[in-house]
Amino acid sequence: MFKYNFIYEFKRLIRSQWIQVLSILLFAVFSFAVFNGQQKTQKRLEEISSVKEKLKTSEAQMLSVLDSIEQGFQVSVSRWRLPSNPMTIGNKHPRLVEMPPHQWTFISTGQSDMYSHYVKPTVQANDFELSFTEMTSPTQLLFGSFDLTFVIVYLLPLIIIAFGFNILSYERESGALKLLASQPVSLTFWVFQKLVLRFLWLSVIVILTLYLIFSGNGINIFKEMATFFSLIGVICAYMLFWFALAFLVNIFGMNSAKNALVLIGLWILFVLLVPTVINQVGNTLYPMPSRTIMVNKMRSIKANATKKQDEILDNYLRDHPEFAINDSTQNRTFWHRYMASQALIDKALKPVVSNYNKQLRKQQNWLDKLKWLSPSMRVKAALNNTAGTSTTDYENFRNQALAFSEQWRKHFIPFLYNNTPFSSKDYEHIPTYQYRQKAHSNMATIGILFAIALLMFAIGLLASKNLKYKMNLTIS
Amino acid sequence: MILKTLSKEFKESFRNGKAKIAFSIVVILLFTSVWLSMQKYNNANKEYLKATESERHIWDNQGEKNPHSAAHYGTYAFKPKQPLSLIDKGVDKYVGTTIFLEAHYRNEAQFSAAADQTGTSRFGELTPDFILLFLIPLLIILLGYNIFTKEKEQGTLFLLKSSGASINQLTLGKWLSLFIPIFLCTTIVFIIAGILLSNLNDYGTFSWTSLISMWSIYIGFYIVFINIVMLISYVSKRSGLSLVIALSVWIFTCLVTPKIASTLAENKYPYPTRQEFQAMVTKDKKQGLDGHNTWNEEAQLLKEKVLKEYKVDSLHQLPFNFDGYRMQKGEEYQAAIYSKHYNNLKAQYENQNKTYKTLAAISPFLPTRFLSMSIAQTDYATHWHFSDAAEQYRIQTQKFLNDNFAQNSVFGDWKYKADSSTWSALPQFNYTPQSLSTIIDTNKSYLIILGLWVLLSFSTLYLTIKLK
Repeated sequence: MFKYNFIYEFKRLIRSQWIQVLSILLFAVFSFAVFNGQQKTQKRLEEISSVKEKLKTSEAQMLSVLDSIEQGFQVSVSRWRLPSNPMTIGNKHPRLVEMPPHQWTFISTGQSDMYSHYVKPTVQANDFELSFTEMTSPTQLLFGSFDLTFVIVYLLPLIIIAFGFNILSYERESGALKLLASQPVSLTFWVFQKLVLRFLWLSVIVILTLYLIFSGNGINIFKEMATFFSLIGVICAYMLFWFALAFLVNIFGMNSAKNALVLIGLWILFVLLVPTVINQVGNTLYPMPSRTIMVNKMRSIKANATKKQDEILDNYLRDHPEFAINDSTQNRTFWHRYMASQALIDKALKPVVSNYNKQLRKQQNWLDKLKWLSPSMRVKAALNNTAGTSTTDYENFRNQALAFSEQWRKHFIPFLYNNTPFSSKDYEHIPTYQYRQKAHSNMATIGILFAIALLMFAIGLLASKNLKYKMNLTIS
Repeated sequence: MILKTLSKEFKESFRNGKAKIAFSIVVILLFTSVWLSMQKYNNANKEYLKATESERHIWDNQGEKNPHSAAHYGTYAFKPKQPLSLIDKGVDKYVGTTIFLEAHYRNEAQFSAAADQTGTSRFGELTPDFILLFLIPLLIILLGYNIFTKEKEQGTLFLLKSSGASINQLTLGKWLSLFIPIFLCTTIVFIIAGILLSNLNDYGTFSWTSLISMWSIYIGFYIVFINIVMLISYVSKRSGLSLVIALSVWIFTCLVTPKIASTLAENKYPYPTRQEFQAMVTKDKKQGLDGHNTWNEEAQLLKEKVLKEYKVDSLHQLPFNFDGYRMQKGEEYQAAIYSKHYNNLKAQYENQNKTYKTLAAISPFLPTRFLSMSIAQTDYATHWHFSDAAEQYRIQTQKFLNDNFAQNSVFGDWKYKADSSTWSALPQFNYTPQSLSTIIDTNKSYLIILGLWVLLSFSTLYLTIKLK
């Protein structure tokens, strides 16, 4: 029976042009999505390299000036911009702290349209003065972008619904069910076979189109096979989940319109309502402290610090006797007072700022607890992780950048308080930054999704022994 | 005939469990979202008032200080919530609410809510606009997908036709049966929102006219959707097919088109990154007058010009402090550079807007989305308006401080300190949002597009029924 089912289903799919239409549709949609993703990634790469280029030029200029100073020549640079002053290097010649895209970033825009991909921490700036948000039109953020993740999470289930909602009901509505019921096969098993076949066909089409589009766009899938397979794994598991839902609805459902309604209802539930409600509840349970109030606090602290600059410097030097002892000149400039105040402000604000991270972490934990309430949410998160554009990736980058900022400051402060001039030799030892990608694994997502789908199939197969009764097909 | 059809459809919907459940879910969600929105709105308003007051307090009590130190110390402008953001939050979540106003720099608004949230918030939020824009059209589909097909499936369409019933009257009856529940539900929500808003103590600029305009936009959108759903049901043979087509239309207009629009707009008219933008500004600034740098070429030219103008040969003989004067000139020059670059950015945004308008021709969702948030004053244009107002205030503040410096001190006297009572003489920053007529005027084209959608959908429905 399986053989016949396979052959006839294949013939039917070809003749009804299901396969052709689907292939063209998927090809078009995937191509558009991949093209957009690639363009975004390309732009990001170009920006980073152009900034690097600029930094290099200004670095070369600075080094030549520094060289002239060391040789004892006169230089035409204003006094407060002399590169022999460590503060000039620390502020005017920062390192680039960048988050470059990787090969698979194009699959998901994620949070990449909202956050910056590079910052240049300076010695003088406070941590909270580093801006990590990007200048994007908010309308664009509101609408989101048309990327591969959108197609997979939102549109692919709809295609499955459109081609799977009326498998059994169509047979009945067209009158073929009675013929089918006379065959020596369980109806449930017949629907199961049909849906599994459709799943296989759809998977083949999806994998092939993706492979073609990826190769056409110059993405070498053989370079990072593991990621490609995990991507395919997530997509297939997600598709199987929707086929399993369609299976249950087909078996327990009645007519085509009702089936379609139920499936669409589930789609709205998983894709729109559950994520929205979970997010809302998360925000209510762990609300972000007000940023405006934070600004107020910061202002009061700063106002106090400015008033007592001299006192703060004295206290600072008392806390750091190593600076006071090593320096014979005891020369104190604006920078000495300023950096001491900054250190104080940073210390005072640390709990306020870390509160935001804490709340964000709490929200994320809340979402992690409930993530299986919506497989769509889960899949979107998995794809964002694969692309390296998830909230945690940006948090990771932010933390790395802040750590580097700290390292950068710490490197220059001894120069400042010891009043040591900066030399080209010292320049060779300044800290540099390298982005460390956070490793994600999609195995759990794939495994659990497959398990859920199989469980649903099993429930359907076991619980529908009386399907023939329900369909009024038995002769009593 | 119209009334009979109407009462029959009502009875049917009422007895239909699915319709009842769906309708109740949407209504419950709608009221919940209004309630949630209200809480947030009150909270945000309280914070705004507190922050503004405390910031002003800090500014007023700076004590004796050089005016230019005060300029660097700066002040903050906070963005107030607009009353109708209760219904449509628009892009509020994605724009900053706080602008730091200081000497020499025009800063971007900081701290958008979305940047402080997890990625899940990008799925959307349970706000009234989400329900009004996405779920009510779905409800229309649910109530109406089989409005004609069921008659076909049961064979009653022929009976009706043969009994001499006018198809126009039948259609009108059916149309009303879809329109009335949606109309009532929307109207009640808007009335409740209006009552809630007008009972607030500091409801600022709330006006019933704006609320009614917004309400009529949504009613127009629903009319278009009802027409489309009825048209689909009329031409489809089976209910299942009709449902699938109607849903595809919904997905295409409400989900896919906005994303395509934003993607095309971004590809065609990209924004610079923040760092690129700052680099462009810095480059321009370097070429002109620098208020701090006496040896700057432009500063020398200014000096000569002023000396000539006042017919004196040393800066000490001027009736004002030249340092303050030069700072003010530098400030004006820098403000002009910012204005230039922000205007370029605005031009880019206008270009992006053109893409949205073009695509509004294939999706009634887009004109509704834009009109709704512009009336609610939660759109991007309002944000521009606010940040421009803050910039004007910044320029005004700098002039106030530099003038004080120039008039009350002598050249070279950087030790000068203004009296501690100086600061409170600076007027407060008060943001006046745009009037409804200005908003309607700038969004005319969206209004026309939505109007065309209403007209075209009506006439297509009418013609199809007449001809078929």
